[in-house]
Amino acid sequence: MATRRVSALATLLLAASAATASGHQPAPAARSPLAPDPSLAVIRPAPDFSLTDPSGADVRLSDLRGRVVLVSFIYTSCTAACPLLTQRMAVLQTRLTEAGLFPAQVNFVSVTVDPDRDSPAVLARYAQAFTANPPGWRMLRSDRDRLGPVLASYDEWTRRLPNGDIDHPARLHLIDRAGRVREIYSLGLFDEKQALLDIRALLREPR
Amino acid sequence: MLRRVVLAAMLVVLVAAGAVFAEVCLSPYVKRLAGPEKFLYISAVDADGKDNDFLAVVDVSLPSPTYGRVVNTLSLGSAGNEPHHMGWTDDRTKIWVGTLLSKHLFIVDVAADPAKPTIVKTIDDISALTGLHGPHTYYALPGRMLLTFLSSADGNPPGGMAEFTNDGQLIRVIKNPAESPYAYDVAIKPDVNRMITSSFTPLRNYRKPLPQWDMKDGGNTLLVWDFKERKVLQTLVTDPVPLEVRWSVKPGKAHGWTNSALGDSIWFFAQGKDGKFATKKVADLGKGCLPADLRQSPDDRYLYVSCFMKSEIQAWDVGTPDRPRLHDTVVAGVSPNMMHVTGDGKRMYVTNSLLSTMDYSEKFWVRLVHIGPDGRLKIDPFFDVDFTKFPSGSARAHDMLLN
Repeated sequence: MATRRVSALATLLLAASAATASGHQPAPAARSPLAPDPSLAVIRPAPDFSLTDPSGADVRLSDLRGRVVLVSFIYTSCTAACPLLTQRMAVLQTRLTEAGLFPAQVNFVSVTVDPDRDSPAVLARYAQAFTANPPGWRMLRSDRDRLGPVLASYDEWTRRLPNGDIDHPARLHLIDRAGRVREIYSLGLFDEKQALLDIRALLREPR
Repeated sequence: MLRRVVLAAMLVVLVAAGAVFAEVCLSPYVKRLAGPEKFLYISAVDADGKDNDFLAVVDVSLPSPTYGRVVNTLSLGSAGNEPHHMGWTDDRTKIWVGTLLSKHLFIVDVAADPAKPTIVKTIDDISALTGLHGPHTYYALPGRMLLTFLSSADGNPPGGMAEFTNDGQLIRVIKNPAESPYAYDVAIKPDVNRMITSSFTPLRNYRKPLPQWDMKDGGNTLLVWDFKERKVLQTLVTDPVPLEVRWSVKPGKAHGWTNSALGDSIWFFAQGKDGKFATKKVADLGKGCLPADLRQSPDDRYLYVSCFMKSEIQAWDVGTPDRPRLHDTVVAGVSPNMMHVTGDGKRMYVTNSLLSTMDYSEKFWVRLVHIGPDGRLKIDPFFDVDFTKFPSGSARAHDMLLN
């Protein structure tokens, strides 16, 4: 039932985003809100972590050094913020793939903040529902003891609500090829078109 | 199941559209309150500067037996700081409290116990860290704080901005351009990628008693920035000392308003079809108003102006954004200054200290104005928090945040 629900929601969101994309009329250039040359200061070194993907393999963030990495914190039974965030990442994955940048130069990492309910099987189904391309987009989890310090190092926290939902900051962290956090996005105002420009800007930087 | 999916999708759409009926005059990146406010945090300056400044906590939960009373104070550990404005981090767990006369900056946790805030970090010398002095506006970015500063470290122009991680690590400093060196407020409209900053006066001026101020030592400009590029695109001219920057809360709308303190006026700014912004004076507030604060209703219909010198609060109908119409006035007491409108738009808390060098009333308070469905303002006769009777004596109540 849960799987069907996630799949239905993912389908609905992906279809909605496709409709939006096809119906979008480019704004006049002078009013375009996009910034092709963003100023992305070094916010801090990206805290390293090692978590487990649905196949049981350990994935260490620092092993992705040399690529631009987008890190999100989600949980799969979330019905509002997380699926929208993941859907937008899916749209960005498509655009990056079309540009030949994904997965060779850009990777995504989504970490569940709810390891009790998000088993490896649940995470695998979630990835499938949102068409995550596994070589470049890893869904990660671990037990709470290992996860806690990872969340804290990214200024993430969780608070279980009476209805079973989990309150947590819905942020995405953009990490450059040298392993430094260069942008943090909020879900509500995340624009995958600008994120694509941000990623391109980081890829233009000398190694 | 279908019902749940539809409900979920509706939720998603609401999130994506942005909360139109939500707290305004906060950074759009700040998490909004899920329900009615329970606590009101107030920055408080010891009135005679001899005792420690503090953060006051007022119980504003209507069913509470201590409703309308100060239920806690958090000492800032020293006197003479002039704690002024405050700001939420994006996740609404911490409040940044800065000072205009000292170099201290305090990061206060309110997540562990909202009734009993605690200082989790003090930056002792913000000027040494940033090269700037007098943090004014605390504007949340995702995982970060953007602060404006009124002066350079020596108390002279130029002011500027600095960005920090939520735990207080400096990320970068951006000084005002030499031709527009005065700084004050900042507000960002992410959906149009524009940021606007305004201009006040530096420490060398505001630390003196008001009669000694050089009224020409202040700005009359708004700077329009490309937010993502952190680059000034335009300099707009207004009457002297444009203070608050209030963007329209409607998604995609690239217009807003500012209050000119010395021009006794409201100015409208808007982006034209060519992408460039222009300003025009759209409201005369009456000579001697000195509009100290400017707030908005959550439906974008009204602006609220506190006339610090005329001791009245004005509500302006901005249904037609560039043609404000005076809708109502109310007298909350002498020298109203900061206002804070609730997320439902039905209540507005008011304080009456501006700056220790500018205050002319010796009675300090926090009061409540009810806002009717017709936009009319009415003082709550039963809500009156007296700020003259603390164990340390009288305290100047300034900025407010709700939790």
